[in-house]
Amino acid sequence: MIRKVATIVAFATGLFMLVQYFLNADIVSLIYRALLDYYQIIFAMTMIVGGITLFLNHARTIAHGQRAGWYSGATIAAILFMIIAALIYGTGADSPYQWAFNNMQAPMQATTFSLLAFFVASAAYRGFRVRSRAAAVLAISALLVLIGRNAFGEMISEYLPQAAGWLLNHPSVAAKRGILIGIGLGSVATALRVILGIERTYL
Amino acid sequence: MTRTNTRRLIFLVVFLGVALPLIFNIDLTHHATPETRQAYTNIESLPDSAIVLVSFDFEASSWAEIKPLAEVLLAHVFARNLRVVGVSLFAEGTTLGEQILAAIAAEKGREYGVDYCYLGYRPQYVAAILGMGESITAEFPADYYGAPTKNLPLFADLHNYDQVNLVISIADGSMPTYWTEYAVAPYGVNLEVALTATMATAYYPYLSSGQISGLLAGLKGAAEYELLLKQAGGGKRGLFAQSVSQVVIMLVIIAGNVADYFRRRKPWK
Repeated sequence: MIRKVATIVAFATGLFMLVQYFLNADIVSLIYRALLDYYQIIFAMTMIVGGITLFLNHARTIAHGQRAGWYSGATIAAILFMIIAALIYGTGADSPYQWAFNNMQAPMQATTFSLLAFFVASAAYRGFRVRSRAAAVLAISALLVLIGRNAFGEMISEYLPQAAGWLLNHPSVAAKRGILIGIGLGSVATALRVILGIERTYL
Repeated sequence: MTRTNTRRLIFLVVFLGVALPLIFNIDLTHHATPETRQAYTNIESLPDSAIVLVSFDFEASSWAEIKPLAEVLLAHVFARNLRVVGVSLFAEGTTLGEQILAAIAAEKGREYGVDYCYLGYRPQYVAAILGMGESITAEFPADYYGAPTKNLPLFADLHNYDQVNLVISIADGSMPTYWTEYAVAPYGVNLEVALTATMATAYYPYLSSGQISGLLAGLKGAAEYELLLKQAGGGKRGLFAQSVSQVVIMLVIIAGNVADYFRRRKPWK
């Protein structure tokens, strides 16, 4: 019964969102606006559910005395600190919440992200091997774009940026557009399957 | 050389390739690419007091690369006497967007509520983009600081995308795709994007189709824009370091292939 109701709701909502694009009536606009609001409300609720689940999982890790308990403790302490600081002092420019964000969260994330440069270099050394003609074309294209889009490339020759621009604007765009059209058609097919109740794996 | 030692050597070379240019900064001669010129001309062609909606769609991790882009774009927009409405569709971009918008607005002497405003974050970006197409004040009843948006002078003649002359998505991910699908296609929004360099290639098809009217990519894009705007900034400062690190990556790729070639020539033991 619940599955049938969910399928009917999906069908009605999907059909309405499709049809409303072509209609210009106040009642349609009103329902459309309400559906968008519910979309955001449901999304916000999933964030709360996600937060609680994260908290409970880490609390369980600590309770079981696992080796990663210290990390879980740090996670829970950070979550609680940010929530309590925001509730008590707000999120203004001089608040403890803002201070923690600017001086702890942002630098930590930037540090983790910057480590990618080292792993990319290491992976490039090991993975970018020219062992076939196709691999050679790929490697030469990559090196051309790298040097052509680099300030040194401009200093070496004015043709290098042009060559990189041609690669990005023609072969790359052609391939990417083909992929995008494929994704678009796939999305339409999947959406139709969901609306018509053929695809019910989301239930 | 063992695998571990090779990795350590690569890490050392990359570290020096990034760190040394930051210490010994050198101004590199460079020119603006057609994409950057297009982005610049796009803003230049807007009428006086036109409304620009700037969406801060990035996370703190890419702040180092995004900040120069946001700074130079906002500097240009304010210098052109355009009005700015800031929003964020990423929770983390909310605070950073507010900081940079307030800083550049103060630097240019702009008045809050009249010349610019900041609406903050809305969850679920698809619904937020579509919602603003219907009514921006309904989507954001209050601004970031809690003031009712309908009371802001800026919203006297601003209701939805019909009054917005340009949307700029400053992003480190795929958010411009959603702006294209849910704002450009149904509402005919004029969209310009500023991206991290790694994301830029994904948006060339949208640029060539005209769905995106300008593309600014990475530190080099920021440096090129600073060149057009005739102002010094973070893009130019980072250009030398990024250029050297890219050359290092190229040399690492070549070294890997040379090593592989000689390894394969060795007889099997």
